[in-house]
Amino acid sequence: MSENNILVQVENLKKHFPIIGGMMGRQIGAVKAVDGISFDIQESETLGMVGESGCGKSTAGRAILQLHKPTAGQVFFKDQDLTQMSGEDVRQLRPKIQMIFQDPYATLNPRHSVRKIIGEPLIIHGMMKKGSPELKDRVAELLELVGMDPAYMRRFPHEFSGGQRQRIGIARALSLNPDFIVCDEPISALDVSIQAQVVNLMQDLQDQLGIAYLFIAHDLSMVKHISHRIAVMYLGKIMELTERNTLFDNPLHPYTQSLNSAVPIPDPKLEQNRKRFILKGDPPSPANPPSGCVFHTRCPLTVKKCIKVKPEFREMHPGHFVACHLADEKGGSKISKQTILASEMS
Amino acid sequence: MSKILEIKDLVTKFYTLDGVVNAVNGVSFDLEEGETLAVVGESGSGKSVTMMSLLGLIPMPPGKIEAGTAIFNGDKGSLDLLQLSSSELRDIRGGQIGFVFQDPISTLNPILTVGEQISEILTRHKGMSKDEAHKRTIKLLTQVGIPDPELRYKSFPFQFSGGMRQRVVIAIAIACTPKIIIADEPTTALDVTVQAQIVDLFKRLREALGVAVIWITHDLGVVAGIAERVLVMYGGRPVEIAPVNDLYENPQHPYTIGLLSALPRMDATESERLVSIKGSPPDLLLSQRHCPFAWRCDYAFDRCWEEIPSLITVGEQHQASCFYDLAKGEPRDV
Repeated sequence: MSENNILVQVENLKKHFPIIGGMMGRQIGAVKAVDGISFDIQESETLGMVGESGCGKSTAGRAILQLHKPTAGQVFFKDQDLTQMSGEDVRQLRPKIQMIFQDPYATLNPRHSVRKIIGEPLIIHGMMKKGSPELKDRVAELLELVGMDPAYMRRFPHEFSGGQRQRIGIARALSLNPDFIVCDEPISALDVSIQAQVVNLMQDLQDQLGIAYLFIAHDLSMVKHISHRIAVMYLGKIMELTERNTLFDNPLHPYTQSLNSAVPIPDPKLEQNRKRFILKGDPPSPANPPSGCVFHTRCPLTVKKCIKVKPEFREMHPGHFVACHLADEKGGSKISKQTILASEMS
Repeated sequence: MSKILEIKDLVTKFYTLDGVVNAVNGVSFDLEEGETLAVVGESGSGKSVTMMSLLGLIPMPPGKIEAGTAIFNGDKGSLDLLQLSSSELRDIRGGQIGFVFQDPISTLNPILTVGEQISEILTRHKGMSKDEAHKRTIKLLTQVGIPDPELRYKSFPFQFSGGMRQRVVIAIAIACTPKIIIADEPTTALDVTVQAQIVDLFKRLREALGVAVIWITHDLGVVAGIAERVLVMYGGRPVEIAPVNDLYENPQHPYTIGLLSALPRMDATESERLVSIKGSPPDLLLSQRHCPFAWRCDYAFDRCWEEIPSLITVGEQHQASCFYDLAKGEPRDV
């Protein structure tokens, strides 16, 4: 893909939440939920974003859409910097940038009919008139697009299952013909057999309509399935960003390698004989991140430099970005059999 | 090997204002000593209610165990768990049968130190003195991989991370060297790297203690690594039970096949389209008169709409409740 069809560009985005405390209610610290991330998303592309809970992936998605006002950094949507725009200007742009949420139960107003839920964005943005036949036709078209019977438009959210509600949420996001949708854990709340339905639907819609997705999830195998490129986040920073297959065949960051090795494969023969590297401990708190490389407290390869110096997020191979000091050296950032053995002994 | 648990025709219903919820509609299975059995199913498949019924943890009302037996061959001979009084069950629960639930923060008491919570089990079930219980607790904390056990004995649950809390819950479960541990989605609330730690811990403990494990989950990836046999449930019924390799290589029930092909695989290089199961899980408020999967099944024929299939032997230790023989491509002769 060439440079000129970049749709969204994120530059050094930060979102810190203040910690208020003490007698005077002063700010005594900050949760660095997103701490300087940069990437871009091209037209009709799916960028996956994975990480453990608390790594800042959801905050990143919201900060891109300006649902959280970023602390620093820029977000360009087709050359317009969203962070510098007024609230009204961002609102004018909303039709092009939409969001799908995790919990299909909480995102739909229980007192509104499906017709009202899906049609509301069109009315708000003045594209169609309330009660007009065009609006009804558009809602019917959208329902068909997400694989539902248009007759359902008179029903209310409680009459639907989780998978169907997520389809309604997708139809609402599609109503204004967006170019870009942030999908925040869109399938995590769904059962396995329903997840596949929704993922297939999202891929079909991308093929038909050319929408770009930022697909945020913690399920690595599903992210790998749907994404073209994947960003791995840890404690507010991107550790590695590359093409999906490279991320799994040739991961350079030790964190990516241990994530890959921790994900179970649904095949007993492979799974029982698998030599896996299991990370010790839990992720540290983003309110008090470790010095230097934020991963150094759990990394099996930590050297002195990692504790002191923050690694730069840099391009090792074309399109393959890594934030690890050791990635320069040949095989330097690879977790080897020896490392696994040594960590088991300790 | 001898059977440590034999469940037969268990039926549990909930009488709610909306109607009768048919949560478990005739579940039978056995558990061998020291064996790990995974129970797999989606939400509403009855997997948790089955286990709660055994432990006497179903709130009654609205719940009611309507039929079935659950023979537990423990230290005190054979007992039917479903016939025991609540005080007799209390002796078994936490003693010979340990359990681990999904959410460790709601399992632990927030105002007692973790040490007190583990010692309590030991004084209650084993009649240990405070000193003995303290020593044993320290040993248990070490065994489940909690660093600085002497210090951590005095910590409260909120001072632990999610993974560490689950380790404490596991320490409680193994405190009285149980015969069976029932683990209900023990890793679902955890991050993937922590999940790997807990699965690893379970494997080590299982070998060290020779305990049988019932592992309830919806994650077929975790099952592949830990289970010896797998029971797949759907609509409150068992649909397939088989040794783990057999189930993944040669699934016999259309639902199992659907579940397996709906999963993306980390080791796949090409992104093939996922095979999804059409429709959604059955409404448990309706009483079942036919195969509960028939609505969603590509192979359903007349008989599937007329009667409910029970488990049919389809191979060695391999049973499936389906009237259709997928290998031959024709209805089964049963």
